[in-house]
Amino acid sequence: MLLIRCPWCGPRDEVEFRYGGQAGISYPSDPDALSDEEWADYLFMRDNPKGEFRERWVHAHGCRRWFNAVRSTVTHEIRATFPIGEEPPA
Amino acid sequence: MAWIEFEGRRVRIEAGDTVASALFRHGVRTFTRSIKSHRRRGLTCLTGDCANCLVRVDDEPGMRSCITPARDGMRVEREGGVPSVERDLLAALDRLHPLLPVGFYSKTFIRPRLAWTVAERLIRGATGIGRLPTGVRPRISQVRHLHVEVLVIGAGVAGLSAALSASEGGRSVLLCDEGEPGWLVAPGPTIERICSLAEAVQRAASITTLWHHAAVGIYEGPLVPLAGPERLVHVHPERVVVATGALESLQTFRGNDLPGVWLGRGAARLAGRHGLSPGRRAVIVAETAEALEHLGALGSSGSKLVAVVASDEIPAPTAGARVIRGGAVMAALGRRGVRAVVIRTERGSERIACDTLVLSTRRFPRDALLRMAADLPPSGEAVVGAGEVVAPGCSLDEAEQSGALAGRGEAVPISEPPAPGLGAEGLVCPCEDVSVADLERAWEEGWRSSEILKRYTTATMGPCRGALCGWALAAFARARGADALASARTTARPPARPVRLEQLAAGVHEVVEKRTGLHHLHVSRGARVDWSGRWKRPFTYGDWRDEHRAVRERVSLMDVGTLGKFLIGGPDGRELLERVLPCRVESLEPGRCRYVVVLDEGGYVMDDGILCALGDGRAYLTSTSGGAERMEAWLRGWADRWGLRAHIVDRTSALGAINVAGPRARELLSRLTDDPVDASAFPYGAHRHLTVAGVPCRAIRVGFVGELSFELHHPRSRGFELWTALEQSGADLGVRPHGLDALDVLRLEKGHPYLGQDTLPDDHPDKLGLGWTVAMDKPWFVGRVALQRMRELPLERRLVGLELDGDASSLRGMPLALDGRVVGRVTSCALSPALGRSIGLGWLRAVDGGFPQVLRAGSAQARVVPTPFYDPEGVRVRA
Ligand code: FES
Ligand SMILES: [Zn+2]
Repeated sequence: MLLIRCPWCGPRDEVEFRYGGQAGISYPSDPDALSDEEWADYLFMRDNPKGEFRERWVHAHGCRRWFNAVRSTVTHEIRATFPIGEEPPA
Repeated sequence: MAWIEFEGRRVRIEAGDTVASALFRHGVRTFTRSIKSHRRRGLTCLTGDCANCLVRVDDEPGMRSCITPARDGMRVEREGGVPSVERDLLAALDRLHPLLPVGFYSKTFIRPRLAWTVAERLIRGATGIGRLPTGVRPRISQVRHLHVEVLVIGAGVAGLSAALSASEGGRSVLLCDEGEPGWLVAPGPTIERICSLAEAVQRAASITTLWHHAAVGIYEGPLVPLAGPERLVHVHPERVVVATGALESLQTFRGNDLPGVWLGRGAARLAGRHGLSPGRRAVIVAETAEALEHLGALGSSGSKLVAVVASDEIPAPTAGARVIRGGAVMAALGRRGVRAVVIRTERGSERIACDTLVLSTRRFPRDALLRMAADLPPSGEAVVGAGEVVAPGCSLDEAEQSGALAGRGEAVPISEPPAPGLGAEGLVCPCEDVSVADLERAWEEGWRSSEILKRYTTATMGPCRGALCGWALAAFARARGADALASARTTARPPARPVRLEQLAAGVHEVVEKRTGLHHLHVSRGARVDWSGRWKRPFTYGDWRDEHRAVRERVSLMDVGTLGKFLIGGPDGRELLERVLPCRVESLEPGRCRYVVVLDEGGYVMDDGILCALGDGRAYLTSTSGGAERMEAWLRGWADRWGLRAHIVDRTSALGAINVAGPRARELLSRLTDDPVDASAFPYGAHRHLTVAGVPCRAIRVGFVGELSFELHHPRSRGFELWTALEQSGADLGVRPHGLDALDVLRLEKGHPYLGQDTLPDDHPDKLGLGWTVAMDKPWFVGRVALQRMRELPLERRLVGLELDGDASSLRGMPLALDGRVVGRVTSCALSPALGRSIGLGWLRAVDGGFPQVLRAGSAQARVVPTPFYDPEGVRVRA
């Protein structure tokens, strides 16, 4: 079980959170110009790195707010959690 | 004086007794029968590491009597054996051993098929596993979570010392042990060292101790569950020190499992801790320096030492026993227990009469936890071993040193375990009755690696989890020439120590039962209440047909408080909804409401609900009962992504909702409110504030069931008041409640799909016939781009209305076939009381560019027909 630091509530047990997948996927500026492959790529394809991963979490059984986290997919270490729209500390 | 009740007799217990020691003092020597051959088994290790002492304690099977403290009034029974463990007729099986070959299960009873079903009963009945308790009250176990910096497992010399050094600088340390420090250690230098360290631990402020808690496994995290007498403790440490020590090896020779064959520490424990002598005449195999301590303990308990079979490094013991150098045990002889041993030396074999054989042999790490940890992602530094578990046979000073280093997080000296020698005869795995000969036969049959030998012979798969036999199995494969991989130790898996099933189930928080404010009222009205998602909801109050009739002909109430309910406001609230919903939000006037589907980015239908525009620029949105949590997170996710200042307030549990439906619903309401409810003031598709029976409600005129209906959303605390007022004043109208069973048919008659039952995760609105809910002329909304792209493709699947022959109410899930080819499936069906025929919904695949009209559902014919089936013009709902 992970101990996750909600930027608003502090460290809480993993069971309070829901996972939201990869963070920072930007919406295509002109989706109509994309080919079907490119569009499907935007919609369905996600990175799967071995190492640090930026992902979204929601504190579902707490403040119910979304935030971003940088987690290592190898060790599960969560290096940082921070509000949406901000950058992780270096 | 304290007693335990043992198979109908009273057995005295003394201070410090375990169940095993009390029984042994009473004269019990056979504690169990072995699982296949029904051979007698007696106390062996006294550390909870073998399967020889399992008894039933207070109706709980499989308790290790040697580590279960005896308590006054306990009921203890032995298990297995026909008719009893003491006189077991099935012991004849032992002589049939040649007929029960290794791999028995894989070879026998293959044909005829039926043979196995019969044989299995007999075989299971004959094995000595024990009976499940019957009639026990369910026990609810709890989980406790502990977050510490360092967890130390095992309170021996290394563990205590590791806890002390880890606590330097105030680090939080948890020290746990299956028993207590020094609990079962015989008097001698070890216990003295343990006592002085334990005192220091007691004084250290930052060390928490948990005795009688055994580590069950190590999982990612690391997470270490500890099984305690009351509860399971989930420990979330930053670092783990495993100090579980080592276990003497069970040498292989004929009769190595006879009662009277002891591991050295076990015999010393019985003598030194419990003051009981294991037997009158003992032969001891001394391979380690510690053997001298065992010897001392045995001597003082009154056993006569007949012979010491000592390796050359062991100094001669002072007692008058005969010392045999360079000898090896060839066999232990006897029926009920050891009566003699055969020792072979260079000068030949010699038979020595004795009743006890003590094996103070080389020790092997009890390293199951360490091996589990080695396979986890963050291996290396997070979990380390200390003491004998990494350096078996180390001295007390070395163990203390090793613990101190590990506690500080420094590197610990590691030494290789000794190479186990394997005799030609005897049992490798006593738990499963697997002998050296069995392994040899399996090897000849071609099973040539430790993992495969394990699966074929079941060696290491018994209750000891390979503690006694894992090393020997690997050594066997190595001796036969298997390479490193094929002779590796088999994978260690949890549980390393026994854990109760109710503890495994503890802390499963998924089963949260949600109830509406009217729950008890439904129960008092005789409702059958059952699970619907996470909610407990009424399915019927007795007769769903009667409930159905009330809706169609009179007036009926339904508790729909489970719906998700959200208030959306803030400067950008409307903007948020306009962007996420596929319908027009801006054009929805205050006081009006609209059915909405919610699409995800892929254009697939995620949820549906009702959107009400409030006068102050805010909106009220409902979702399906199961979709509330997701809906809220989803709305917030988009608001955050776009930086919109929108407030989303979850009102789901704050508000209740009662649907008042049926042709006489208006009549009923008008009796309880002064607000206008006539069709011109409160038409279909509108919502109003009504005060009903004094309760402020937001009333919504929509109709899932297809009749005139008013959904009354009200403060949850006033639901009881509102419901009973409606019931009472509608008594002469024939009002009655309806549950989910009636609803299922009512909505089906209107052709409304249940999301999740009638739909698939990749259904876009066109596939469901819900294309009209989507305003494609809006420039943008979530899912629009995907929907547009999909609309360029031909529709390959569609949800259709079906009319079926006969009574089709049990056809849900039935494939829809066209000329014998499956092209769809029935997802809902019922014999409609309103229509007097069978109707259904189902999905259908396109065939040759079109959708077939006539199909077969099992033996019934199914015809595709337009929906709604009932009141297709919607006259009734608009009344
Ligand atoms: S004697 Fe109890 S487990 Fe070995
Ligand atoms: Zn939070």
